[in-house]
Amino acid sequence: MIAETEPVERIDDAALIRHSLREPPAFAALFDRHAPALHRYVTRRLGDSLADDVVADTFLAAFKRRARYDLGRPDARPWLYGIAANLIGKHHRGEIRSYRALARTGVDEVADSYADRVEERVSAVAAHRDLARALATLSAADREVLLLIAWADLTYEEVAQALGIPIGTVRSRLHRARKKSRDALGGVDPSALDDEESDRG
Amino acid sequence: MDDLKVLKEMRADAPEPGAERLRTARCRLTEAAEGRRMPYRLGFRLVMAGALAVAVAFAVVLVRGGGEAPGHLPPAGRLANPAVVLEQAALVAEKRPLGSAPRSDQWQYRKYLTVQSDGKVNTFEEWIRYDGTQSAGHGDTGRLEVRRLKPDPGDDDLSPEQYREKLLRLPTNPAELLAQVQGDRHWIDKPVEDPGGGEDPGARAFRVLSVYLEQQAVMPPKLEAAIYRALAKIPGARVELDVRDAAGRPGVGVYHESGRNPISRHYLILDPRTYRLLGNRMLHLRDEVLDGEILARAGSAHTTAELASGIVDQPGQTP
Repeated sequence: MIAETEPVERIDDAALIRHSLREPPAFAALFDRHAPALHRYVTRRLGDSLADDVVADTFLAAFKRRARYDLGRPDARPWLYGIAANLIGKHHRGEIRSYRALARTGVDEVADSYADRVEERVSAVAAHRDLARALATLSAADREVLLLIAWADLTYEEVAQALGIPIGTVRSRLHRARKKSRDALGGVDPSALDDEESDRG
Repeated sequence: MDDLKVLKEMRADAPEPGAERLRTARCRLTEAAEGRRMPYRLGFRLVMAGALAVAVAFAVVLVRGGGEAPGHLPPAGRLANPAVVLEQAALVAEKRPLGSAPRSDQWQYRKYLTVQSDGKVNTFEEWIRYDGTQSAGHGDTGRLEVRRLKPDPGDDDLSPEQYREKLLRLPTNPAELLAQVQGDRHWIDKPVEDPGGGEDPGARAFRVLSVYLEQQAVMPPKLEAAIYRALAKIPGARVELDVRDAAGRPGVGVYHESGRNPISRHYLILDPRTYRLLGNRMLHLRDEVLDGEILARAGSAHTTAELASGIVDQPGQTP
């Protein structure tokens, strides 16, 4: 009977986390699945130098809390990004400083931090300087929602899970954040944007 | 202009790191997950230690068997009377000399072998500072890496020094020892993520006494004798002869039979003459099935073998 094997199958994150309760080393598979994208997201928020530690701390915290993971959720990304959000939040001063510097000087120290060579440094496009100004003035809660959607590609529902807030709150925070970013970009027809928002989530 | 679209383009060239860049972060996780932070952590969990790659392969690369029913019990080996065998172990143990206490800045060394159920063999060497503040081992490159250990008050692991202090305070009367172990909040409340209190009390007592037995470098002989006698008093304690460790050495397999249909059996393998710990064996008694996938087959086993241990002055040294 052993010869009659079917092709390899991938189990979902919830099954993996459940398995790791018995066999802790299995949790490393969750790292292999999600650490690269999470690392990129943290790099985008805080720069290259903090990403390693934030990612390591996120997975260590997740490992310790794995017994409390809601096994009804097959995808662990919202959970992991929610843990990471708290750790990223500890660096909010530096994050805001980098947005302000970008808005003021056009030099993006975060982008510089991951560029391979100095020659690769490119002045930010004007629109990104404008957005940086908006990002610097957002409340931490609004910025978190906006960037989880724009940079981590989470859906409204996933953001709600990640941050433990109702989906209506996600919508209202996003609405507020986008109003500021649109204002910073010079303003557009608000009705057109409402249509776009209803396309998502 | 779509603000969200522009935002998505901002810093979009941030790279996704490769395995090499993530290695340190991954190591921090696997160290915690494997319990290698404290190398003498309970063997039942440690049986899996160092088997990371294989364990991950288990979890992710699952092959579904063709309809084989679970519940296939491997034949039992030759059983012996636990009271007789463990009394013999106690008589030998209590004649050992009492070692002197290491200094806080000395290191406890351990070399051991693991064999996975698929036959994969690994040898590990590790050092832990006696006060538990640092650990050391050879990294992927073969270079010795020393790591600082952060204290984790929620965990049930102890440093060698803390183990010695704990062991010296334990009663050497077997009945008193068993009662003390069964009521010890340390093993009931911790680790906070997976407290021992959820376990069957007999199984927990057996597990804790096994953890103590693994602290051979700091073990008072009279206590070791009491541990063997206390193990014999736990209902469900069994002794099986000729159980082999990962190095193929035959020994006396001590285990605890708990529950009506356990999924696995954890042997503590003792040398049949010296009753020193040879290694561990975790035998799967049933197929372990998760969501219809077989994680481990009945009859497969993870085994370990203790190859060397001792106290040295520097990490990297061997006794």
